[in-house]
Amino acid sequence: MSTHSVKGPSGISLGGLIRRPETGSLIGLIVVYVFFAALGGKVFMGAPGWSSWLNIAAEVGIIALPVGLLMISGEFDISVGSVVPASSMTTAMLSGHFELPALIGIMGGLSVGLLIGFLNGLIVTRTTIPSLIATIGTMFAVMGLTLGFAVLIKGSTSVSYVPDATTKALLGTFINGMFNVSIFWWLGFVAIFYYVLHISPLGSWIFALGGDKESARNAGIPTAKVTIGLFMASGFAAACVGVGQVMTYQTAQVAGGQAFIFNSIMCVVIGGVLLTGGAGSIIGIVLGTMTFAVVNQGIFFAALDPNIGSIIIGALLLAAVLSNDTFRTLALNYSPKKK
Amino acid sequence: MTKFSRFAAKASCTLIAACAATSVMAADIFVIGGKPDDPFWSRVKKGAEDAGIVAEAQGGSVTWLGPQNYDNLGPDAAELIRQAIDQGADAIVGPDWVPEAMDPAFEAVVAAGIPLVIYNAGGLEAADKLGALNYVGAVDYKSGYAGGEYLGNAGHKNGACVNTLPGAANIEAFCNGFNDGIAAAGGTGSVLQLPATAYGDSTAVAQAVRAHLLQNPEIDAMFAIGGGDTSATISGIQQSGKAGKVHVCGMNFNETVLANIQQGKQACAVDQQGYQQGFFAVSILNNYVNYGVTIPTREILTGPGIVDASNVDLVIEGVKAGAR
Repeated sequence: MSTHSVKGPSGISLGGLIRRPETGSLIGLIVVYVFFAALGGKVFMGAPGWSSWLNIAAEVGIIALPVGLLMISGEFDISVGSVVPASSMTTAMLSGHFELPALIGIMGGLSVGLLIGFLNGLIVTRTTIPSLIATIGTMFAVMGLTLGFAVLIKGSTSVSYVPDATTKALLGTFINGMFNVSIFWWLGFVAIFYYVLHISPLGSWIFALGGDKESARNAGIPTAKVTIGLFMASGFAAACVGVGQVMTYQTAQVAGGQAFIFNSIMCVVIGGVLLTGGAGSIIGIVLGTMTFAVVNQGIFFAALDPNIGSIIIGALLLAAVLSNDTFRTLALNYSPKKK
Repeated sequence: MTKFSRFAAKASCTLIAACAATSVMAADIFVIGGKPDDPFWSRVKKGAEDAGIVAEAQGGSVTWLGPQNYDNLGPDAAELIRQAIDQGADAIVGPDWVPEAMDPAFEAVVAAGIPLVIYNAGGLEAADKLGALNYVGAVDYKSGYAGGEYLGNAGHKNGACVNTLPGAANIEAFCNGFNDGIAAAGGTGSVLQLPATAYGDSTAVAQAVRAHLLQNPEIDAMFAIGGGDTSATISGIQQSGKAGKVHVCGMNFNETVLANIQQGKQACAVDQQGYQQGFFAVSILNNYVNYGVTIPTREILTGPGIVDASNVDLVIEGVKAGAR
């Protein structure tokens, strides 16, 4: 099941390219981009347009990578939606309210993500609760705790924090006044996750987990450790986005972040990851994220009603799943003939 | 409270009033409001207590009744109103948050002959319907209108209101007010509707604002509701390379908003001025109970109050004092 995603292309040929599982996502991205470029015109195709959708893609993309890996291993993580505000609130509270150094605030925010991820992993591996339900549970618990602590400590649902110049430059600045520095963080995450999934042996373990958990365990894969690690990765990634948002907008809010739940899942699915696990690729997730961001921002450049954007994203999701199935069948059927 | 203790309380009140050498009746005013640790309501409470200093000097008192939480707001607040009646209130101030649950209790106040002022929520309509003396509070539409008028008078002719919650009645009232306000100053207004997926996501709001500005270069003024959306809007403007050209006003303020006004990144913030709600509601009732004087102006507006570069330092002082 996993082999077709792991192996690199043995030679560049059109046939081989079409049979790559990411082809569907790539075609989707091109179609969507051309559509909005035609409507949005020069501004959308220029640097302002690119930076606009890349900024959106970077944040949701950082979360979509580990969420995608979890989905490949057969798990969901809904709790990312409340980790984002929880970590930004923690950072703003530590560095803004208690005036501790920025580094402590950032560490605090990131450890919140790691801790929630660890809890998710424990619940999923130690009990028989499906990850979808378990992480919905932790999401609500974390949401309540964030609100409770914010009101208890600060007496307010939003906390302000003005970061120092270096921290702001590293985490929340706009290069050239347009490109959010988070785009580079996203590229870094892509490189790391690419290595983990497609080069390191851990990658085959993750595919194996999604394929068949029982046999994976029997084959000597430490399934519990891998699962807990993946949940911690997604908590960490969501926390990174939360911390980055505080540095960028200088305010942490209790509400918000919920949008990341479905947005990240959509990016992953549009990117060709199999909902039931066992198949998917980092390139696919990146392409899916870019497609999602192009639609999301293209709407405003094309001066269409934003509700139409939601309709397009919805339709795109269905089309992606259908076409990915087609391409997957193609890829699986044609592979043996090459030998 | 037993009959005796109530008698004792009344007797001591009369005694104190006599000692204070006033021949008028001392006013025990009960104020129903939000949780005292809620940042907005702590300012309303301070206003009520500051007005209460006068009431106390005249032998009266001000008692704050707030719910423990907001889980069961309507019935809890109605219960507080009845408590105030039972504790022998001479006058009652209350917000008409949930009319279905609270109106019967307010009707009981009026039926008992206790002077009533509605504040914060409900508007003059509620005050008239319930037979209250007056309404003290802000009106969402007028707050938006003030923002539009401010930017319009500053020479901006094309405004857009950022709506991150399409369909929410209060946000639409703010935006309609903004559009009418800027139109009154000779400009035009529009609404930037965001998809539901953008709510609470600062990046999505910022990028939407930026794309909208790039596609509509004639826009030179924006209005956002709440501190978070306002900060995101400012970021969107900066990213579109229009910092200084597109001016922003926002509803409400926090530390970040005040800092942005000081640095000139934000033109103005529109404030409901909760302190005034508590202060004037209590003052009106205290004077009415003590001297029978009334305020013929119906609907005492406590907002919109504009915070801009000219008064931001004073506002920061007010924040430190807990009044803003």
